[in-house]
Amino acid sequence: MTLRQAVSPHLRPPRTVGGTMRLVLYALVPGVLGQLWFFGAGVLWQIGLATATAVATEAAMLHLRGRPLALFLRDWSAVVTAVLLAVSLPGLAPWWMAVLGTAFGLVFAKHLYGGLGHNPFNPAMVGYVVLLVAFPRLMSQWPAPAGLAGGAPGPIAAAHAIFGGGVDAVTAATPLDAVRTQLGQALTLPEIRQGPLWGALGGRGWAAINGLYLAGGAVLVATRTADWRIPAGVLAGIGVPAAFLWAIDPSLHPGLWFHWASGATMLGAFFIATDPVSAATTPRGRLIFGAGIGVLTWLIRTWGGYPDAIAFAVLLMNMAVPLIDRYTPPRIYGHPRGGGHD
Amino acid sequence: MTEGTARGTVIAATVLTACALVGAALVALTHRETAPAIAANRESAVRERLTAVLPPGPFDRSPAQAPLQVRAPAALGSRDALPVYRAVRDGKVIAVVFTAVAPDGYGGAIRLLAGVQRDGGITGVRVIAHQETPGLGDAIEADRSDWIRQFHGRRLGAPPAEAWRVAADGGAFDAITGATITSRAVTGAVRRALVYFRAHRERLLTTDG
Amino acid sequence: MATPGAQRILADGLWHNNAGLVQLLGLCPLLAVSATVVNALGLGLATTLTLLASNTTVSLLRRQVPAEVRIPVYVLVIATFVTVIGMLMNAYFHALYGILGIFIPLIVTNCAILGRAEAFASRHPAGPAALDGLATGAGFTAVLVVLGAGREVLGRGTLFHNAHLILGDWARGWEIAVLPGYDGFLLAALPPGAFIGLGLLLAGRNAIDARQRRRRHARAGAPAGGEAAA
Repeated sequence: MTLRQAVSPHLRPPRTVGGTMRLVLYALVPGVLGQLWFFGAGVLWQIGLATATAVATEAAMLHLRGRPLALFLRDWSAVVTAVLLAVSLPGLAPWWMAVLGTAFGLVFAKHLYGGLGHNPFNPAMVGYVVLLVAFPRLMSQWPAPAGLAGGAPGPIAAAHAIFGGGVDAVTAATPLDAVRTQLGQALTLPEIRQGPLWGALGGRGWAAINGLYLAGGAVLVATRTADWRIPAGVLAGIGVPAAFLWAIDPSLHPGLWFHWASGATMLGAFFIATDPVSAATTPRGRLIFGAGIGVLTWLIRTWGGYPDAIAFAVLLMNMAVPLIDRYTPPRIYGHPRGGGHD
Repeated sequence: MTEGTARGTVIAATVLTACALVGAALVALTHRETAPAIAANRESAVRERLTAVLPPGPFDRSPAQAPLQVRAPAALGSRDALPVYRAVRDGKVIAVVFTAVAPDGYGGAIRLLAGVQRDGGITGVRVIAHQETPGLGDAIEADRSDWIRQFHGRRLGAPPAEAWRVAADGGAFDAITGATITSRAVTGAVRRALVYFRAHRERLLTTDG
Repeated sequence: MATPGAQRILADGLWHNNAGLVQLLGLCPLLAVSATVVNALGLGLATTLTLLASNTTVSLLRRQVPAEVRIPVYVLVIATFVTVIGMLMNAYFHALYGILGIFIPLIVTNCAILGRAEAFASRHPAGPAALDGLATGAGFTAVLVVLGAGREVLGRGTLFHNAHLILGDWARGWEIAVLPGYDGFLLAALPPGAFIGLGLLLAGRNAIDARQRRRRHARAGAPAGGEAAA
């Protein structure tokens, strides 16, 4: 028999892990609908594939580790991991990619480290990076946004592409890729943005999707599910250096709005970086953690070799979390600043 | 210092010196025995690489021997002198192989060999060193894709000089999917080598260099 | 100091005290050149040869070398053999030497070699010292080859790619397409694959050891678990 120990204050936690995770899933809905509208029904298939894989993997690993199935399966954390990975994948990526990435993330990044609460790395991002490093070409083939090459693929067309092998839909370079490639061609940004891929802020479709994830993220922050410090840090970390270089030469450096409205910026800032297990835990630490992700994202986007950088940035900062937490302890009431934590 | 420790120091120094001398002798002996084989290996490795970008032999002498050293930073992409190998048949240079550097690759400079016949037609291009992204830009290696073989048989004029670019820039050559920058760098390096060949044809094709 | 028997030396080098999996020494070359079986075997054999030669020499010199200069002498001995072996490989296995590149000269810095010289060869006669060098080298090579095989099959779907570089022209046809038509799981061929693969090998070795210990305890009638946790 184990005695349950609790330290004061003895307040009932307002939400269970499962409740929090379900709230995160609801907050993802607007962004997913945006992806559905602009990039077609592929995203739904990816979510289905990843979720099924996640539940099966979670059950298998819990069984192997001799843990109670029902308790942990009902916490929904594996499903959140699966959905975050699924929405990061190109909509028409072949089916085995979602399966492989989800299984790898859960087995290697979560359960080998001891399961929920013990993983130093964000499992969804580990799965994503594995796929990105192993299949960089498939991972950069996003379908062209709706309105550019006819409508977005419907459920049947998407299923055909995902399960039938080979992407026969029209693909287009993502705005981040296009900017990097064309800047290398000595084109200036105003020239690049003449192209059909572009909207007012960033890439066509991408800006709207980022806006929708921002809206969902705002709900998480308002309900205190996510600490505002992390997304604020991420957005500032990306925005400040981008705005600075843009102010120096707007024809060569995409500015703050472009970075905020491109790639997985909002998804990363509000849903991925805020993963409670692998993020920093102290208030100041969370600001630093977010800002680190933001700056790294901007650096890797500007000079790196892969399509987007959020995943690499999150994993790198995950590594720094113990150090950040060590040096940013909150001041304890009644003790002088900087002392008394020993 | 007592006599005992002084003696110990002398012994230690002697042993260390003896070991160093024996080691050096062993290395020197091995070097003398293996040096010819190593030199021959180096030459045959260069010859093998050249064979891939030259028309079929036989040649009067190994094309790996006595390359010209050409310093042409603008055309060949390096501030150092680079070897230009020549394939000679019946006393006539039938093709030259440029060592060219594409300084604007995605992961840094890309070194390549480009074989050119007397008439300016390409007999083959191979990448010999690069740091492009695995899975994307490394498709310029002949082992990984046929991309690099599309230059074979092309010349300035077919396609015309202004079309010696990747398709994304309005040119005649396909770019590798997801690696436009890499493809552009290699295509540009090959074009510059051809332009250099056209400008210095006489000198490059003279047997005595 | 009593010299252990041949069986003990072999078991230690190959399993109980394996340079790669237990001492975690020489990991830099282990991770860097284990992308294919042939590369792994090439580096493993060169390391084994160095260990054999350096252990024997150090053991023969053990009464002549004063304690104060023993480490410089060991380093000299090891560096000499590595340089000689590097030249020989460059002369007779040129293509393989080209692929292994800097990792041949870097065998000098493989701490497993200096470790065996200091911990074993300098205290025991030449025969056991030579056997210890061979066993340690074989253990290291085995880890390299297993890791190389796993990474090659997953990374490119083949086995024994480039076998002729070690074994000569008659091995040209040895390459086996284990998974024909396989595009390759690039991650396994890149550095992260080496780290993950080594982690799995370590876990596998520990699992086998734990299982044997449990069995021994069960046979002896003692409760399991106690020592297994150590």
